[in-house]
Amino acid sequence: MLESVSPLARDLIAVTAIGGTLALDRRAAFQLMVSQPLVVIPILGLFLGNLPTALWLGALVQLLWMSSLLVGASVPPNETLSSLVIGGAALLFGRHVGPIDLPVMALCILLGAPVSLLGRLIDIQVDRENLALAHRADLAAAAGTPGVISRLPLIGLFRTFVAEAGLVAAGTSIAFFVVRAVHPALPPPLIRALDVIALYLVPALGLAVAMTTVRRRRALALAGIAFVVVVSGLRYLEVQ
Amino acid sequence: MIGRGESLAVAPSIALPRSPRVSRFTLVRVLWRSFFFQAATNYQRMQNVGFAYSMIPALTELYRGEDLKRAMARHLLFFNSHPYMADALLGATVRLEEDVAAGKLPPERVTAFKAAMMGPMAAIGDSFFYASLKPFAAALAVAGIVSDVLWAPIVFLVLYNMFHLGLRCYGLAAGYNMGERVFEKLYQIDLVQFSDRSHYMAAICIGVSGALMVDHAAHLPGAFGSGLELILLLALTLICFQCLKRRITMPWLLYGFSVLSIVLIGVLNTFFPLIE
Repeated sequence: MLESVSPLARDLIAVTAIGGTLALDRRAAFQLMVSQPLVVIPILGLFLGNLPTALWLGALVQLLWMSSLLVGASVPPNETLSSLVIGGAALLFGRHVGPIDLPVMALCILLGAPVSLLGRLIDIQVDRENLALAHRADLAAAAGTPGVISRLPLIGLFRTFVAEAGLVAAGTSIAFFVVRAVHPALPPPLIRALDVIALYLVPALGLAVAMTTVRRRRALALAGIAFVVVVSGLRYLEVQ
Repeated sequence: MIGRGESLAVAPSIALPRSPRVSRFTLVRVLWRSFFFQAATNYQRMQNVGFAYSMIPALTELYRGEDLKRAMARHLLFFNSHPYMADALLGATVRLEEDVAAGKLPPERVTAFKAAMMGPMAAIGDSFFYASLKPFAAALAVAGIVSDVLWAPIVFLVLYNMFHLGLRCYGLAAGYNMGERVFEKLYQIDLVQFSDRSHYMAAICIGVSGALMVDHAAHLPGAFGSGLELILLLALTLICFQCLKRRITMPWLLYGFSVLSIVLIGVLNTFFPLIE
């Protein structure tokens, strides 16, 4: 059946299916951390045939959302959905349009970042919808039917999958088509600005976010020392 | 149908036999179900459905009829804890339910135990797994990726899940064996000390990643060259860090600095049209 679908649509369906499944790991099931940007984007990269770029992109996006913690009852921005859209759009561009250069990466990150906020709205809505499951569980307990309670998490999983896969599909399609339309028309100064964003701004912001997760003041000094030592070492090796 | 606890209650003169025990297979089923602990999280009672769902294999083995209904209902009360640490609570709760089924404990003891322990367990889990282990493992993997180590994400997954899965299995077993004293057992592992050390290790990895990113940037076609990338990356990192500490969020910084970069390069291009 899939043979009648265009290769782009087929890849988009795959990104949606893989993304929707991996996104379940973030909160609904397992929590093995395969939903982290560092893992989801390389998995998409493996499937779409561009692992090196996917790894680099995964590392950058991971740094950006390093401080996003699912603690207590808080619902933080959904970094997994954002990563899937960023990675999906960039890797689809690389497979169907042209090489993934720095402006493509920057555009995908800028277009995909707000998806994390939409993802948060979806998470909140799913939690609201799940209230009905809690009421059904009460009724099942009163009726003495444990089998009904055993089915409720499956309904929750399905609901989460549909909502998150839907957002991945919509977000990836929009981001991909925008990048494909905009990229060839970019004026040189804007290309240079996007180079700067991908090459300097995103890594710097990512490192800064990562530094905020370090809760010891002395450890930050250690980060500085490690930075200086490695930079000096690399420079020395280059001179040699 | 008469629950086991009920049958003991009507024969108080007989010496209490050993509590009914759930099988090892049932504990494995509880463990498996705990992986879906948050599948039906809701705003009102948080993980209550997940807790009841995980407990059902044990409850159906211990109770029948009205006892089962009451047991299921008491596990549908509000519950919110860390999903990994919940396994220790599940193990301890199974143990308590065995005692309730034997008539040794009142059922209220189970709900009181859960209500008292979910907070401290969540605090340990959040600070160890989410605030310490995850940033460290991720920082290590990022350092690996920027050093061209292709399997760095696998290192991240193995390192994280070694602790995650290990503590889930150990927690369930310790909870089942220790009952209400499970917290003491987990406290002995000294997760706090590891948390503390992991911040230092994460900091080193972040420093190394930064240095390797500078090197990477210097060798790309879009680089400024002449060592400018080192100054630019360092200055931007410190500015962003200060902004983040002043509660300016990451998306604001991303879009704010992006617009600033575009405007700045546009202006520079107007006056110095060297950029082709």
